[in-house]
Amino acid sequence: MSDRRTDGGEAVSRTGMPFGLPRWVGAVTPLVLLGVVVAGFVLLNPFAGLATGGALPDVTVTHTSLPNDETVVLHVTNNGPDPVTVSQVLVNDAYWDFTMFAGGEATNTLAPMESGRIVVPYHWTPTWDIHTALVLSDGATFGHTIVAPQVSPGLTGELLGLLAVVGLFVGVIPVALGMLWFPVMRDMSDRSLHAILLFAVGVLGFLAFDAGFEAFELAAEVPGAFEGNLLVVLGILGALLLVQAVSEWNSAGDVRPLGLAYLVALSIGLHNLAEGLAIGSSVALGHVSLGAFLVVGFMIHNVTEGPAVVAPVAEGERPSLWHFVALGTLAGAPVIFGGWIGSAAYSPTLGALFLAIGVGAILQVNWEIGRMVRRRGSLVTPANLLAFFAGLAVMYATDLLVTL
Amino acid sequence: MSDEGSRATGEREDAAELTESLTDRLVAAVENDAAVSRRAVLGGLGVAGASAVGLSGGASASGDHGDTSPHGRAGVVGEFQSADFDPHEYLREFRTGTVKMEGGQRVREFELNATLREIEIAPGVTFPAWTYNGQVPGPTLRAVEGELIRIRFSNGQEHPHTIHPHLKNVNPRMDGIPQNGPGVIEQGERFVYEWKAQPAGCHFYHCHSMPLKEHIHRGLYGAMIIDPDPERVRQNPREYVNYHGPMTDDLRAELVEEAELRNHEYRADEVDEMVMVMNGFDTNFDGDNEVYAANTRAFAYGVGSTDAENGEWSAGETVKPIQIQRDQRQRVYLINAIEFDLVNSFHSHSQFFDYYDHGTTLMPTHKTIDTIMQCQAQRGIVELDYSDHDPGLYMFHAHQSEFAELGWMSFFEVQA
Repeated sequence: MSDRRTDGGEAVSRTGMPFGLPRWVGAVTPLVLLGVVVAGFVLLNPFAGLATGGALPDVTVTHTSLPNDETVVLHVTNNGPDPVTVSQVLVNDAYWDFTMFAGGEATNTLAPMESGRIVVPYHWTPTWDIHTALVLSDGATFGHTIVAPQVSPGLTGELLGLLAVVGLFVGVIPVALGMLWFPVMRDMSDRSLHAILLFAVGVLGFLAFDAGFEAFELAAEVPGAFEGNLLVVLGILGALLLVQAVSEWNSAGDVRPLGLAYLVALSIGLHNLAEGLAIGSSVALGHVSLGAFLVVGFMIHNVTEGPAVVAPVAEGERPSLWHFVALGTLAGAPVIFGGWIGSAAYSPTLGALFLAIGVGAILQVNWEIGRMVRRRGSLVTPANLLAFFAGLAVMYATDLLVTL
Repeated sequence: MSDEGSRATGEREDAAELTESLTDRLVAAVENDAAVSRRAVLGGLGVAGASAVGLSGGASASGDHGDTSPHGRAGVVGEFQSADFDPHEYLREFRTGTVKMEGGQRVREFELNATLREIEIAPGVTFPAWTYNGQVPGPTLRAVEGELIRIRFSNGQEHPHTIHPHLKNVNPRMDGIPQNGPGVIEQGERFVYEWKAQPAGCHFYHCHSMPLKEHIHRGLYGAMIIDPDPERVRQNPREYVNYHGPMTDDLRAELVEEAELRNHEYRADEVDEMVMVMNGFDTNFDGDNEVYAANTRAFAYGVGSTDAENGEWSAGETVKPIQIQRDQRQRVYLINAIEFDLVNSFHSHSQFFDYYDHGTTLMPTHKTIDTIMQCQAQRGIVELDYSDHDPGLYMFHAHQSEFAELGWMSFFEVQA
């Protein structure tokens, strides 16, 4: 393992394994030893004498669904490290019949991190709050109030169609309309075009904050075991790094304008997916007035996303038309899918994750646009800064129109 | 003008149509209601009965839903799983201790110890109770007026406890409070309480350690019944009546007979005697009860299921009505041991009863009432007569509907 050197020293090979063991043994050994230590700990249980009294049960009613006015369905998750048994269910301070389903069977026990469905045959009155409480076997109670209940429409072809139309109007059409500014943008000077790009950055930046706050808000409803806040952080950073890695791999550090346009479209699409999710889940919970005002609000709000998508390709060669169709679809159509997912399988965990992914993607795209502008001129000019601010302000103003 | 006229006609027709449809709906609703109430009467159920058990019957009555009701079924789910306490056994179990004579004084001795025990208060729901002799309520202690009650108390539990009697007690050392006599009895300590059995009546004992609310609500309480002494009644009849008229021989004899019918050493076995301690459990310790009951277990004296249309019912495995004989006088020693609520109550369906406030009199303090309320620690004797009733289920419950729906709802099954 060592060579005589001319200077009389000895060169020690740093790649050699001790005792001449194969390399894979070296890789596996720490894991094997970890297994031994863990097994020993479990078997010997050195903390056995420490009477800590065990962990408290923790059960969350993540959400509810009301398939008809004679049924209440509570979706529950066991956050604690121990199994819990739901012994009784109170509805409006009275014991009531119920059946719990978990893991595909009727059972009263939820394993750690397991989710279940509690079906209560209860004839409720629309808009009269329903106060429910789960009584566990040890008497602990976990309450959940369904405010102003309404029948959730359930997943029907009609609803899917309706959500598709809504998605078309609030997602695809506004983005497509926004993209119609493309010819105007092509005639602009570099300075103006950069300002437009920074306007897009402002738009996206606002969306990032908007979605980010909403993600953390939703994370509060995520069952404790799933660590909602950290899930959002993971989603943001994960999406950011993933999109970054893809763009680095794709262009070796220099994103082509068309590639950047697609990235913008993708990140807006991810954000719109979350937007669709919100619409779909509101519909599922029976809590949205899909009135003209809301749709108009969304259209005005989202029309600014169009120029953001096409700004990167405004100078240089005009991409072929089908690219525009693809860009518009990528940015706008996810509203439809989000709506479908939201109405079929809404959960705060899913919602928070989608929002976080959207935020990560947006941050990466903003970074990319910033790099592009700096490479071609100056990033921080009064016009650019004002345009950036205008992007934020316009989004704020139009956001006021769309409160679900 | 003709336009106006036709529109007016149209409006009138619309109105007529609307009226007709409303009328139809009303008729249909009234028919349904009538059917429900007829069924309810047949099944011996009233309004609360319909809400508590009868709705499943209502559904099967309509004939097309099978066992499931569109309105769901109120009440607990499942059966009690542990045999730690039998509310039916407790109902008619009176501990009379051991009697001996000491210097011309009759002494009645009991043993009580404080222990910790998990008890099941609703199917599948347990509660970490502090108990006398491992049960909630503690054993029903029964003595005769004038005797010396001696209780050897030992505390096998880590919290300090006492026994405080709701008796006329002339010795402050025996009051069972932290500030007097032996004070609290610590873990492993023993103390012998001695109280004179007076006055006759339906009484109560409980732990008086601090924090008081917790020591009572956790289960340290029980019933204490002092039977009137017929000889003493014969000599001092006025002490047993709230009555100022002339004391005739007939009245005296009547009072003595009542005293004998109350006294377990005379003729109390001629009456069907029951103990009901109204209690509640705050399972999540938020200062509000999740379970209400008479004798600890939610809906313990309820029915498993009913078919109100045919007036049929069946018992559950661990939940069943109290069976009583129609021709026998029914006496309920009723005590309110509720915590966190100001009052509790007892309401009998289709029946009016006589009530003896605190049970200290031999003539009713209230006659012909169907609801009484009791403040915390208040108690009394309820005497019911079902001799002219059809056999069947007769509900009784707290008429705080919240308490009823949370467990304090039960039935007598009157048998011919």
